[in-house]
Amino acid sequence: MSPATPIAAVNVEAVVIFGLVVAVTLGITYWASQRTTSATQFWAAGRQITGRQNGLAIAGDYMSAASFLGIAGLIFYFGFDGFLYSVGFLVAFLTVLFLLSERMRNAGKFTIADVLSFRLKERPARVAAALGTLAVVAFYLIAQMVGAGIIIEGLVGINFNVAVIATGSFMLVYVVFGGMLATTWVQIVKAILLMSATVVLSIFVLVRIGGNPIDIFNDAKNQSEDPGAYLEPGLRFDNPIDTLSLGLGLVLGTAGLPHILMRFFTVPDAKAARNSVGWAVGVIGIFYVMTTFLGFGARALLGEAGTTGEVDEAGNLAAPLLAQEVGGGAGSFGGDAFLAIISAVAFATILAVVAGLVISASGAVAHDVWSNVVRKGRDSEHEEVYVARIAAFSIGAIAIAISVIGGSDLNVSYMVGLAFAVAASANFPALLLALTWRRFNTTGAVCGVVVGTVSAILLVLTGPDVADDPLINLTQPGIVSIPLGFAACIIGTLLGREETEAERSFDELHVRSETGLGAETGEAAPRPRQPKQPVAAATGPGRQGA
Amino acid sequence: MGTGQSSATGGSEHHREIDWEAAERSPEFKQLERTKRSFVIPATIFFLAWYITFILLAGYAPGFMGESVIEGLTVGYLLALSQFVMVWVLTAMYLRRAKNVFDPLAEKAVRKAIESARPEPVRPGEARPEEDRR
Repeated sequence: MSPATPIAAVNVEAVVIFGLVVAVTLGITYWASQRTTSATQFWAAGRQITGRQNGLAIAGDYMSAASFLGIAGLIFYFGFDGFLYSVGFLVAFLTVLFLLSERMRNAGKFTIADVLSFRLKERPARVAAALGTLAVVAFYLIAQMVGAGIIIEGLVGINFNVAVIATGSFMLVYVVFGGMLATTWVQIVKAILLMSATVVLSIFVLVRIGGNPIDIFNDAKNQSEDPGAYLEPGLRFDNPIDTLSLGLGLVLGTAGLPHILMRFFTVPDAKAARNSVGWAVGVIGIFYVMTTFLGFGARALLGEAGTTGEVDEAGNLAAPLLAQEVGGGAGSFGGDAFLAIISAVAFATILAVVAGLVISASGAVAHDVWSNVVRKGRDSEHEEVYVARIAAFSIGAIAIAISVIGGSDLNVSYMVGLAFAVAASANFPALLLALTWRRFNTTGAVCGVVVGTVSAILLVLTGPDVADDPLINLTQPGIVSIPLGFAACIIGTLLGREETEAERSFDELHVRSETGLGAETGEAAPRPRQPKQPVAAATGPGRQGA
Repeated sequence: MGTGQSSATGGSEHHREIDWEAAERSPEFKQLERTKRSFVIPATIFFLAWYITFILLAGYAPGFMGESVIEGLTVGYLLALSQFVMVWVLTAMYLRRAKNVFDPLAEKAVRKAIESARPEPVRPGEARPEEDRR
């Protein structure tokens, strides 16, 4: 193995390729900004995204740098246990497909709160849903931004603060000017870049190993510090209940992530929504299978480099260094070029995810809190979009500030875990029950979201990752906080007053969410405006002629 | 804008003419619901059970998971791959069933709801298409 080249010096190739990525995404943003004036265009891209496009965009929205670089690093260090993340992240989409994707599309408009407030008392339901959304986005966004700073600093040699501010600024430009249309296409471009880079890297690894994929495991095992344990579970997770808690958080939390659920509002109908999950599951599944090549491959080919300190403690540099190694090694043209490409892909990955997060948070602030709670629906659509842009700008600016102040000491991995736990404990129970349980009421929804959010946060704050004297010895709160969220929804409902109004509109919500009758229709971008359509024309066989 | 002012509340204003209560109770809708449930509930229980089994095996039986099927290829890794296959197969099954079975049933339920809708009330202020200039 060639001696380690410090990659802290500014990597010129990487900066050039970063520039290309930025140029393409800014071009997309300019194009999208010409087509984004109404609220439906700003938050839902006019509902004109096809199922396949949305599938790629979901993949781009979902596969964060934590998946790409983080899982490769976890497998590099912990072998089999790292791969558990890959499995959980994919299985999660069955929950989304079976329980929520079509129903969300049929019942909602722009945000999670639209679905809750459909049959519940509007203002408390919206405030509660906005709380759940903002809690998830806050943890996830700051984790991504800090991660971006650390990774870019490590890969390209740009100072942490500069990296965070640059990432945040591009994210703001995409969202504020290009809305959901720009966000969607940035995510699609990112998904294609990430998949291509991962396929190429995997093929290189396979060739270097000698063509037999099973040899990757043997070589990795032989190169690891503890060959007897490397291919067995247990190197990272020593508490099975904690592992189960993490797994449940991933599998149920994805169905409560606002930026993922929001993607279903961008397609024309429920059929496109479920087809987009089909595409997403194909792309994301292939990607997570390939994390085998990235993670075990990095161990097999980089070997002891990890133990001599070349790969950082979190393992984020395992995949980029692997690219450098299979490209020809440090100092060679091929090695440096491949490292630069992988770094740029990681950068694009982060940009796509943070843009999706910011636009979902802007929906919670502008559409839910401002337009429907503060202004009680009396604002004009022009005002709603204007406030949305201001909200997106403010949320992004706050996230940049917190990330710069908190700096690289913020623990990224537990914040991501927390985001999933809040999503699973607060958003998921309330949404599922609102869509399926006739008796469910406003008190139940508010109790569920508040208890789910607070219990997940408290369990992490009093858990072994943060507290010296942990209350419960679980780093992952899901196994406690998810049942608490459901229980609070149910107990709150039973203790609260029965809402006759809510129960009446459950019929409407139920029929609408299952059949699409009365669902929001799309809005083509360039065409000026269409007359209001009666329900029959929008959803089913013609009624006007009858 | 296409959806006008009522858009802020979810657009339900346009659909007053549908009798939602009757639509929800119609045999067509009930059949859709039953048919969907008969797939989704067992499938959800199955995938959660298989996933949780996998995680618990990883937690409580690391030795078994680490056993080699072929030198280097462990039981644990094969079970992990089985999770991927499960996701792809269940997704494909759901998409097929949705297209061939659920969609036609949903269409029937919608047709029924529209047929039995109360006559559309002519409300002042509800713009007819030709009035909606611009």
